[in-house]
Amino acid sequence: MTEATDLAERAGDRDPRVGLRAVAALRRLLEQLEAVQVRSARNQGWSWQEIAAELGVSRQAVHKKYGRH
Amino acid sequence: MFERFTKDAREVVQGAVEHAEGSGASSVDAEHILLAMLDREVSRGSFALTSLGVTGERKESVREAVAEARRRAGLSQAESDALAGLGIDVSEIVARVEEVHGVGAMSGDGKDKGWWSGRRTFGRGAKQILEKSLRVALARGDRHIGDEHILLALTVRPGLPAEILADHGVTQESLIRVLYGSGEAKAG
Repeated sequence: MTEATDLAERAGDRDPRVGLRAVAALRRLLEQLEAVQVRSARNQGWSWQEIAAELGVSRQAVHKKYGRH
Repeated sequence: MFERFTKDAREVVQGAVEHAEGSGASSVDAEHILLAMLDREVSRGSFALTSLGVTGERKESVREAVAEARRRAGLSQAESDALAGLGIDVSEIVARVEEVHGVGAMSGDGKDKGWWSGRRTFGRGAKQILEKSLRVALARGDRHIGDEHILLALTVRPGLPAEILADHGVTQESLIRVLYGSGEAKAG
């Protein structure tokens, strides 16, 4: 179909673009997963501190990203 | 940068923000710019889309493709394929998350629209589209950035909007043909 799809189909190649594209996609997937889980935790009454501890980041980092300003 | 945007281009940007807000998305993404482009009625961009047959049902088809891709974490087919190359099955992940958190959980859109109390900013993809539209206009020697330049930028930057537009016959080449008459003619 697209050039990009062709690239992905040649995943066996050592074309760095395939690997880099996969990493970028994984990052996007990770961001969405994180948002889903943070939202779920907040809905269940978790504190930012508790969420941050599980994510292994600072409370400030998670609050800045998802919290009230 | 926005001072060079025409009224039409500004309305696309504003429309993208409204699409993001309307769906409860946490940030304005490139897909929201595409959705805002589809709303245009009388502009260079809408003329180009109409010329390429993206009108009525075909417009709806683009909207559905965007919604489906957002449900899959906003990943394009190419990105899903790249992850499959790593042994990661995006459909499987989306299915499992939706089992627990409901359909559309991975879309970044909130049914509980108030959940995202942070500032709704332009995501990286959306910023890149706007920057690209400036470069597209400069490359063509156009003094202002119109919504047709935003549309061109959407087809140029690899990603979900470009993929969906290409599936509907809208590519950089076809746009340049209907907008400028030929591949190498330079406007202005």
